[in-house]
Amino acid sequence: MTPKANAKLSDLIPPQTVALGKADAQVRLTRQDDCIQILLPDPEVAGSSWLELWDSLKQRLHNTEAFWKSGAIAKLWAGKHLLDSRQLQAIADALAKVRLDLRWVVTARRQTAVAAAGSGFSVEQITPKAPDQPTPDLASSAEYWAEPLYVKSTLRSGQEVSHPGTVIVCGDTNPGSTIVAAGDIIVLGRLRGIAHAGSQGNAACQIFALRMEAMQLRIAQSLARPPEADPDQLYPEMAYLTESGIRLAPADNFFKTHRFAIDQNIWLDSA
Amino acid sequence: MTRIIVVTSGKGGVGKTTMTANLGSAIAKRGHKIALVDADFGLRNLDLLLGLENRVVYTAIEAIAGDCRLEQALVRDKRQPNLALLPAAQNRNKEAVNPEQMKKLVLQLAEKFDYILVDCPAGIELGFRNAIVAAQEAIIVTTPEVTAVRDADRVIGLLEANDITNIRLIVNRIRPEMVQLQNMMSVEDVLEILAVPLLGVVPDDERIITSSNRGEPIALSTEQSLPAIAFNNIVRRLEGEDIPVLDLVATHNTLLNRIRRLFRK
Ligand SMILES: Nc1ncnc2c1ncn2[C@@H]1O[C@H](COP(=O)(O)OP(=O)(O)OP(=O)(O)O)[C@@H](O)[C@H]1O
Ligand SMILES: [Mg+2]
Repeated sequence: MTPKANAKLSDLIPPQTVALGKADAQVRLTRQDDCIQILLPDPEVAGSSWLELWDSLKQRLHNTEAFWKSGAIAKLWAGKHLLDSRQLQAIADALAKVRLDLRWVVTARRQTAVAAAGSGFSVEQITPKAPDQPTPDLASSAEYWAEPLYVKSTLRSGQEVSHPGTVIVCGDTNPGSTIVAAGDIIVLGRLRGIAHAGSQGNAACQIFALRMEAMQLRIAQSLARPPEADPDQLYPEMAYLTESGIRLAPADNFFKTHRFAIDQNIWLDSA
Repeated sequence: MTRIIVVTSGKGGVGKTTMTANLGSAIAKRGHKIALVDADFGLRNLDLLLGLENRVVYTAIEAIAGDCRLEQALVRDKRQPNLALLPAAQNRNKEAVNPEQMKKLVLQLAEKFDYILVDCPAGIELGFRNAIVAAQEAIIVTTPEVTAVRDADRVIGLLEANDITNIRLIVNRIRPEMVQLQNMMSVEDVLEILAVPLLGVVPDDERIITSSNRGEPIALSTEQSLPAIAFNNIVRRLEGEDIPVLDLVATHNTLLNRIRRLFRK
């Protein structure tokens, strides 16, 4: 193993801890039977500004690989968001562009329900709680993760993806971008932004990149800044949490040479 | 079909207005009818660069409010019969217009022209949203600086999310001698991050500033110059011609070599 590959990142800066991520700060798409569920973030977590909600929805639709059949029926979980008929129509139009047919609106707000019914959507009014949301302390455990999120394009400066599960980026993440994942982060390209794996506190989570040039790596509550990347010596690397902080290792042999010690909640070098 | 193109950058002062004036003039010279829209409300200066300041009577604001016909607000010039300018109001703030009004206005303009070039203000707020609302294509202008490239990247992300995917890049103010000494990002460095097709490269050149000050876009100058060639090549690429991008570093080298050889004699 080369010296750089074994670099103990936490030596480079004083050990720091970071706050855990917010579980549901962004628009999410999941499938239930043949229906695609569009989950809007909780306005108390993500803010209730329409423009921000709109940007978040458009960005997610642009970045997400379509995992549905053309013309699939969509159900909007609007939660506590207050949406008027013009905004509901804008959402339906944006969904239509990615071949989703918005039929259902589920809301906890009477005014949104009225607007949705008036616009011809089927409406379900509920008490303010989204479908099967684990409580935050449970959310760190893999069984509560959402399905992996595939990001199909370059993540650009200012773009932030947060997901209560594993995030797989088919492309680069540029400086100024941020990924926050309750699970692992896998970048099939260059990782140049900030990446936070195990954002709900899961120390077993890892960050993999074909080229590790990250601005900052975070796993659970630990933080590290990778050393200046040597342009001639770039190979796929894995970042993982050890007793002494986040480390990097060549990815090809990682699982042969390392094991996760559940009792200690860290990765151990078993070689 | 009219091509509606927004010229944008995120960061201020990188050369959007300079590009709009020069590319617009070069497109008009090639015989296309083109309207330039100054979307920088409150800080208009496209009219200055085109030497049309003294002809502005109405602006986009009056046309939107219905205080004048759109045709009346367009500024034209005998020197360039194919080119028209829709000026922005100088005294209003950016909040004076919203995206729906802007979209209607630009689409109305599109009925009469082959090209529409929209000069976008810096930033990503309402002025930016107004400028991109009707566009089908975007030209990103950046300089080879980390901050400008970062902002350009942010803007590309926003354009893509707003369904504008035909995005091409101009790297402005390249200084070959600095690139060569590795004191400046190269075009390749910029492309490596932004990953959009390169439309052209424009050198840093004082003549661009002096011609702007005179209100005579350098692209129209009869005198041959590297910037004028660069602008005209960009327009030809925009029209689908396959022209290699000027390698400014190589051009610089041969120039240096020629001078060196001169001295050796
Ligand atoms: N290639 C160049 N070489 C030398 N000077 C240049 C070049 N391009 C632009 N400039 C100068 O840089 C300054 C800013 O250019 P310009 O006004 O076109 O930028 P802008 O992006 O429109 O700015 P703003 O964001 O304020 O609208 C001007 O003085 C202009 O003459
Ligand atoms: Mg300008």
